[in-house]
Amino acid sequence: MLVADFELARREFLVRIDLQVLPGERVALLGRSGAGKTSTLEALAGLLSLSRGEIHLGERRLSSATYPAADLPPGRRGVGLLRQNPGLFPHLTVLENIGYAKGVAPEVARTTGERLGLGALLGVRPRGLSGGEAQRVALARALQTKADVLCLDEPFNSLDRPLGLELLELLRRELESSGTAAVLVTHRLEDAQAFAHRVAVLHRGTILQVGDPRELVLRPASREVSELVGYQGWLVSGSQTMAVHPDLVHPVEMEAAGELLARVVGAIPQGARIELELEAEGRWRGRFRCRSERSAPLGALMRFAAPGAPVYETGVDRDGG
Amino acid sequence: MLRGPGVRAGTGAALIGALVVWAALLGPLIALFAHLSPAAVVSSLRQPGAFQPLLTSVEASLLALAVILLLGTPLAYLMARGRLPLPRLWELGVILPLLTPPLVIGLLLIFMVGPATPLGGALGHLDLTASDTFFALVVAEVYEAVPYYVLGAAAAFAAVDPELERSAAILGDGHWRAWRRVTLPLAAPGLATALAVTWARAMGAFGAVLIIAYHPFGLPMQIWVTLQETGLSSALPFALVLLVVALPLPVGAYIWSARARRRL
Repeated sequence: MLVADFELARREFLVRIDLQVLPGERVALLGRSGAGKTSTLEALAGLLSLSRGEIHLGERRLSSATYPAADLPPGRRGVGLLRQNPGLFPHLTVLENIGYAKGVAPEVARTTGERLGLGALLGVRPRGLSGGEAQRVALARALQTKADVLCLDEPFNSLDRPLGLELLELLRRELESSGTAAVLVTHRLEDAQAFAHRVAVLHRGTILQVGDPRELVLRPASREVSELVGYQGWLVSGSQTMAVHPDLVHPVEMEAAGELLARVVGAIPQGARIELELEAEGRWRGRFRCRSERSAPLGALMRFAAPGAPVYETGVDRDGG
Repeated sequence: MLRGPGVRAGTGAALIGALVVWAALLGPLIALFAHLSPAAVVSSLRQPGAFQPLLTSVEASLLALAVILLLGTPLAYLMARGRLPLPRLWELGVILPLLTPPLVIGLLLIFMVGPATPLGGALGHLDLTASDTFFALVVAEVYEAVPYYVLGAAAAFAAVDPELERSAAILGDGHWRAWRRVTLPLAAPGLATALAVTWARAMGAFGAVLIIAYHPFGLPMQIWVTLQETGLSSALPFALVLLVVALPLPVGAYIWSARARRRL
C-alpha cells in the first residue's frame, strides 16, 4: 500500500497531501490547473523533495523530509510516471523506447508493443509518430517498468477526446490485468469517474474530499468541491447557498409546492438534450442550469425539483444535502 | 508565398550578395591552389625533416583535444543545465580567452606557468617546463582552442530537453547512465561540430604558441619561419599540408552532424 502524508512548499500555497492507495487501486486526484496535482505526482515519483512528512510504499520508505539524503531515486521507488508529454527518446526506435527500462528483454518489449497495437511501428523513430501513437508508446514503456504504482499526469489530455478516452480505457484494462495501482491527476470529472475506484478533490494544495466517484457528485462536501464535480448553479437565500447540478434538477408540475420557481432565460442544445438556463425567482435567487429532454419558450415560468441538492451555510461549508 | 517582380528582384540581389560572400570566403583557398605547383609541393616536402612539424602539430593537437574534452565536457554540461553557482562568472571565464588576442594569451601564460612562477616551478619538478617545450605547445593550444569547445558543447547539451533525462531517471537510470544513454547521443551532432572547430583551432594555434612554444616547431610556426627565411613560395606547400590535415575532420564532422540532426 502507498501511504503518502507530506507537505510541499510552493510559492502561492502549501501542498498538504494525506493519501493512501491500496495495491491495485486506482485513485484520481481531481482539481483545477495549479491546484498542486502535478507537484504531488512528482513528489510520489521522487522528482521533488518533501518539506514535511514521508512517503511509504509497503515496508519501504520512499521519501522523508527528515532524511532527504536517504530518499530513493526515481527509478528505484517502484513508482512509474506517465506525463502529457510522452518524452520519447528521439534517437531510439519505438521498440528501443518500450524496452528502455533496465532488465526488459527485447521479446517482452515486442510483445507489449504488439498488444498495444504498435506492431507495425516498432522499427520507426518517434519523429514519424502521431500524437496518439507517441502516447501509446509512452504507455507501453511505462508499463514495462513493472512499477507497483503508476502516476498519470493527464497523459491523454492533448489528444482528441475519443482517442483520449480509448487510451484511458486501454490503460485501465492493462492496470487491471497487471494489478498495478495508479494515481491519475485530471481536471476532467468524467475521466476521473471512468478510471478511478476513488476520487480525491484537490483545491489549492489541500484534499477537500475523498470518495466514491458517484457519491462525490451526489454529496459534495463544500461549495469548492461542488464547483469541481459539475455543479453549475449556486442559489442564495439569506446565509445559505444551494448548489444545483444540471443533471440533478428536473421540471415538475407548476402546482407542486415548496420547489424551485424559475424563469427560462436561455436554451442551448447539448447532444440529444437541451440545456435550459434559468433565473430563480422566489426564496432562492441566482442562475442555474437544467439538462432537459424538452425545450421551453424563453420567458416561461417553470417549477423545478432538485432533490438532495447540497445546501451550505455561507462562510461555513458543510454538507446540507 | 509572396510573388511579383519586386520579390523576384529582391531574391536575385540577395543571391548575388550571398555569392559574393561565398566567393570571398573561399578566395584565399582558391588563391592557394592557383599559386601552388605540384612540383613545388613535392620538392618542399622532400626536404629532410619536412614532416616533423606536421607530426608535432598533430601530436600536440590530439593531446590538447583530449585535455579539452576531458575537462571541458563536464563544465559545458553543468553550464548548460545551470547547475553552477554564479553562472555568469563561469561564462566570463570561458569567453575571456576567446576575447583576448592570442599573443596576449601567450604573454599572460608566461606570467602564469613560466619557469620563474610558483606554478611553473612546481611543474618543473614534474619535468613539465612550460617554455619552448612540447608541453608548452599543448598548453598554448589548449588556451587558444578551449572556448570553442566549451561554448559549442554547452549549446549542444542545452538543446537536449532535460525532461528526457528525467524520463530516463524514472525508467531506472542513474545520472551517469541517463547521461550516457540519452544526453550524449542526442548532443553528439553538436559535440562533433564543436570538437571539429576546436581541432582546427588547436592545429592552427599561433599567437600564444609564438610566445611560449617557439620550439618545438609545429606546422603554423614552420609556415611562419619558412615565410621569414625563404619567402612565400616555400611557405605555401606547408600551408596546404596544414589545410589537408586540419580540414577533413571538421568537414567530415559537419557532414555527419548534419545527417545525424536530420535523423532525429
